[in-house]
Amino acid sequence: MNCDRDGKTELQPVPAAAGPLRFQITMTSNSRLLPVVRAAISELAAVQGFDDRQCRRITLAIDEALSNVIRHAYGNRCDQEIELICQARSNFLEFAFVDRGEPADPAKFCARPLDDRAGGGRGTHIIRQVMDEVRYDRAPDGNRLCLKKYLPGAHGAPGCK
Amino acid sequence: MKTATRERPGITIVDVAGDIDMGTSPELRKTLLNSLRAAPRLIINLREVRYVDSSGIASLVEVLKEARNTQKRLVLFGLNRAVHEVLQLTRLTKIFEIRETEEEALQA
Repeated sequence: MNCDRDGKTELQPVPAAAGPLRFQITMTSNSRLLPVVRAAISELAAVQGFDDRQCRRITLAIDEALSNVIRHAYGNRCDQEIELICQARSNFLEFAFVDRGEPADPAKFCARPLDDRAGGGRGTHIIRQVMDEVRYDRAPDGNRLCLKKYLPGAHGAPGCK
Repeated sequence: MKTATRERPGITIVDVAGDIDMGTSPELRKTLLNSLRAAPRLIINLREVRYVDSSGIASLVEVLKEARNTQKRLVLFGLNRAVHEVLQLTRLTKIFEIRETEEEALQA
């Protein structure tokens, strides 16, 4: 919408559409789909109001979580199903990964010291560094991993990450 | 992800472009290890790398370990903000030799 004042054009912001933001991806466990998911997550984080740095970090954490499902739950098979549900609430983003693969080792979700000798576990470390809440549940037929990221300064956010 | 290799006397330069993730890092690892065998110094150009995850970093670490085991040098250059951030998150900023430009990497 333009408003002419004294011959100068002022651009007015268009209010964002109201309503819930939620989308769901059902994908095969094929690593060739990782860039596709990264693109979607990066845009979602930007729409939710995260800055560029946080968008990159959130995208990285989601990519690491998906890679872990492909690698550990499904043993690198490329033909299994993964569900990723993404929701944007008023002051946080929430992601749920659902798979029907091998159970995860909950101990591996615990933060542990990293050094250049660490053979693995960097992906889980990144997820823990970036996300504000990480919850893993084992269902009878699969795994469910939930990650939550608060907007900076939001109630419940544990401080800048 | 794409790679291209250039040779200088005593130096191999590998130019990497695109995204390094769990799908592409095995190929990168293989290319870098092969290139490391060819010369006493390996320089990796990451200027065109848009994205790297922990599997990409793991490949670089493996190549660095092989370089150390064989008394060779590995230098990275052209890291953008995204690559720097992943190195920071994985606490690996200090283990690599990193330069801003190709000239600096060649003179290192």
